[in-house]
Amino acid sequence: MSVQRDVDAELRFHFGERIEELVAQGLTRDAAHARAIAEFGDVERTRESLREIGTRLARRRNRADLFDALRQDISYAARSLRRTPAVSLTIIVTLALGLGANAAMFSLLDAIYLRPPAGVAAPGAIRRVWVEHQFRNGTQYWPGFDYTSYDAITRSLEGRAAATLYAYPSPRKLGLGENAPIVRASGAAANYFSVLGVRPALGRFYTLQEDGLNDGAPVAVISDAFWKRQFSGDAGILGRQLSLGVRKFTIIGIAPPGFRGIDLDATDVWIPMGPYLGPEANTRMPWWQDFRVNGFQIALRPAAGVPEGELAQRVTQVMRSSAVGARRDTLAVAELGAINRDRGPGKVSTEMQVAMRLAGVAIIVLLIACANVINLLLARAVSRRREIAVRLALGVSRSRLVRLLVTESILLSLVAATAAVGAAQWGGALLRGLLMPKVEWADSPVDWRVLAFALVAAIAAGTVAGLVPALQSASPDLTNSLKAGSRDGRSHRSRLRNFLVTSQAALSVVLLVGAVLFVRSLRNVKAHDFGYAVPQLAFATVSYDTPDSARDAAFAGRIRTLDDRVAAIPGVQHVALVQFRPNSGFSFTSYFPDADTVAHHKPDGFVSGVTPSYFETTGTKLLRGRTFGIEHPGGPFTTVVNKAMADALWPNQDPIGRCVRFDVPTAPCATVIGVVQTAMMLSIDEKPTPRFYVSLDNLSFRLYPWRDLVVRADPRQLPGVMTAVRELLRTEFPGSIPQITTMSQAMEPEYRPWDLGAKLFTLFGVLALLVASIGVYSTVSYAVSQRTHEFGIRIALGAGAADVLAHVLGEGLRTVVAGVIAGIVLALAAGKLVSSLLYGITPSDPAAMATVAIVLVTVALIAAFVPARRAAGADPVSALRAD
Amino acid sequence: MTQRELDLLQGTLDVLVLRALSWQPMHGYAVARFIRQGSAQAFKVLDGALYTSLHRMEERGWVESEWGASDKKKRAKFYRLTAAGRRALRSETQSWNDYVDAVGRVMTAMPESA
Repeated sequence: MSVQRDVDAELRFHFGERIEELVAQGLTRDAAHARAIAEFGDVERTRESLREIGTRLARRRNRADLFDALRQDISYAARSLRRTPAVSLTIIVTLALGLGANAAMFSLLDAIYLRPPAGVAAPGAIRRVWVEHQFRNGTQYWPGFDYTSYDAITRSLEGRAAATLYAYPSPRKLGLGENAPIVRASGAAANYFSVLGVRPALGRFYTLQEDGLNDGAPVAVISDAFWKRQFSGDAGILGRQLSLGVRKFTIIGIAPPGFRGIDLDATDVWIPMGPYLGPEANTRMPWWQDFRVNGFQIALRPAAGVPEGELAQRVTQVMRSSAVGARRDTLAVAELGAINRDRGPGKVSTEMQVAMRLAGVAIIVLLIACANVINLLLARAVSRRREIAVRLALGVSRSRLVRLLVTESILLSLVAATAAVGAAQWGGALLRGLLMPKVEWADSPVDWRVLAFALVAAIAAGTVAGLVPALQSASPDLTNSLKAGSRDGRSHRSRLRNFLVTSQAALSVVLLVGAVLFVRSLRNVKAHDFGYAVPQLAFATVSYDTPDSARDAAFAGRIRTLDDRVAAIPGVQHVALVQFRPNSGFSFTSYFPDADTVAHHKPDGFVSGVTPSYFETTGTKLLRGRTFGIEHPGGPFTTVVNKAMADALWPNQDPIGRCVRFDVPTAPCATVIGVVQTAMMLSIDEKPTPRFYVSLDNLSFRLYPWRDLVVRADPRQLPGVMTAVRELLRTEFPGSIPQITTMSQAMEPEYRPWDLGAKLFTLFGVLALLVASIGVYSTVSYAVSQRTHEFGIRIALGAGAADVLAHVLGEGLRTVVAGVIAGIVLALAAGKLVSSLLYGITPSDPAAMATVAIVLVTVALIAAFVPARRAAGADPVSALRAD
Repeated sequence: MTQRELDLLQGTLDVLVLRALSWQPMHGYAVARFIRQGSAQAFKVLDGALYTSLHRMEERGWVESEWGASDKKKRAKFYRLTAAGRRALRSETQSWNDYVDAVGRVMTAMPESA
């Protein structure tokens, strides 16, 4: 090490001189040596401390040198970028779009999959319990438990893990009334907080006694955010009452800042399980024994050193045993998952599937942007060939030159990253709203992780985009460059640029094909006949804040009398009553068709109670027979079946006139009087569901009473009709809250995956098209500016302006057409990635491909036309005089 | 003050070294010789402390060093005052003089009548 060598050399010199001087004064060599050392003091210690000082100094100098060089590079880069503001700005905007799209996507996926919930101690150790059950339509993971299962699981763990139970946060009204604010409340066992390692910021969490199954105390712990939002952080809030609906809870503690539960939805209030469910959960039997009161989540923290597999095995065993009561499933398989619920192992929602593909799309946009930036930087580097050649001639090292050029592009991308973070804040919120409009997000879209991501992505993109042109321009043929003037005679560089334009066009094609496919899917799904005249329908009912069983029992009779009065509202075409509006619920019953008296393999007995005008109101088409007339109570029982049911029970036979006994084999016959189309029951992606319809006026068995008015009106008059219905319900049911939605609104979540795909693919696709057309424009116009000389000569030799125009356009088009072909090949290959998400269209749809090809070529033509016209107008005289 | 050895405070040693270098750039051994002769053996400075002082001041930016050749053409490390070193010498000299003055006043003062 050179510091050590320096110190040694300096001391050696010192002793040499001193001893020589002392010897000259008459001392012996040994005496002189001893004297010199005595005068010096502790030689070794001094040597050591000199070495330390020297090392420190050297390190500081190295840093300073590096910093100096960097500062020089940056200020040089900034100066040279300012010299070409248009190019710099184009690069910044292009990169900002690409980086912003990625940062927004990252922000979304990070919140859902990567970032653990805030405030939890060692969140990586927390596991969620999932159980795979065998359902009729295949196996399915289900993270929902009843209390008996939880209790059995806890006991089976024998202290090898601490398990806790909680209910997913659900919206509750703060107080009463139509406009009461909504908070998200979660029921949680007393050990929820200790298992998660959360301590109260103020007050306390509830005790095991307060969490009693039968006699849970009405106490509440509130989140820090809710405390600040609702109570302005008033410390005197402890001990005060919090009203959720009709029930009151005493606030006993405030959770630490940041902690909002462990789901995407932020929790405002935690309540012991019993009081959370309320007395109505105990109607059939105590809630903790009722397997129908389920859907709770179990989270556990394994004890140190306990393998996950062993815990999963214990849960599997207990779920297969009789210890879990009615929930027993001899084929159940338990699995432990991460604290981020969406990481699985459950089913990935369609929205998330779309989101994953959009993340790929965002990366493609960034690639296109990078290609564009490389292209612009290449063009810029070429026009700086003389400058670079001079620098090289003056002895600037090639590595320094490359560093300089890469610094320029990193500088550009850092500026772009700053803009991208702004774009991500906006875009992240937009994505959240589009993908999961119902989630009350616990955190803001942009945090330090997104910033770090944007920064790293920017530096990576800047390095990649800067390195290619930098390596190219750092090796110019020196003398040629100095001689050649500003013209770029070298063809391989324009080959590279053409290749970049071709790949931009290809990637744009992929995105645009995706956009067309999703737009068509959305149109297909909206046009698909699900058995309802969607735009004309509205559903209306009422809800109450306070429970009242007598009032609820009377409700069905009272709403039945409103039929005529609703029908009299101007604009209303038809009115009917139904048990459940579509997508909201279902009833089912045992049934025995024909002479059948035993239950054997046949479809589930889904049944809908409707009033006679139901089918003409909803627009569900009658295929055979008739619908309900005035089915008098006491008259013969009748039923209408849908096509799926008719096909399942009586394939290739006439179902009209058949007999179906509902509920028990001894029930009177209900005669099949008609067959209607198979209408959607719960969601649009369900399999055709066999179903019975029965008349609510004349039932042969007990059925959950109707709740919903179905109103049909002209779409333009629907808003007015809804207002009138709302008023009517308000006066007829005082103290109630009218619940009215159009079917279009109710269907929105059903269309969301396609809506989302259509919107975002189009957005990204147009973005890509824009960026690619900038690429075409800049390449062609650059080529034209380099060849003005040549065009001038051509024109001087007699070529017409039209010839030059055609020539330039042709060259520009060639690269784009190659890109379109490559893009279509790519799109076909990528098709299977999206085919499961499309509706009524295959990914290789020729019309979609053709549309995109035409759009892309047209845009490219326009982009190439502007510079081509400039070429055609080249002045032969000035062209020949140049250089 | 015959043969009394003075333990020099670090700060004082720094001033002496700066003073030595204020004439001309010199190597460590020349600085040691300068102080040994200048003090006329009134106090003893350990040469090791002197080198430590030189290196510390280099770290502080008061002196800078460069390898060169001595009068006898040997390779030696030469130290030179920097602008910061010159400033430091000025202010240190000033406070040293103030200190000596103050001590002198006390040593020659007469007590006021009690």
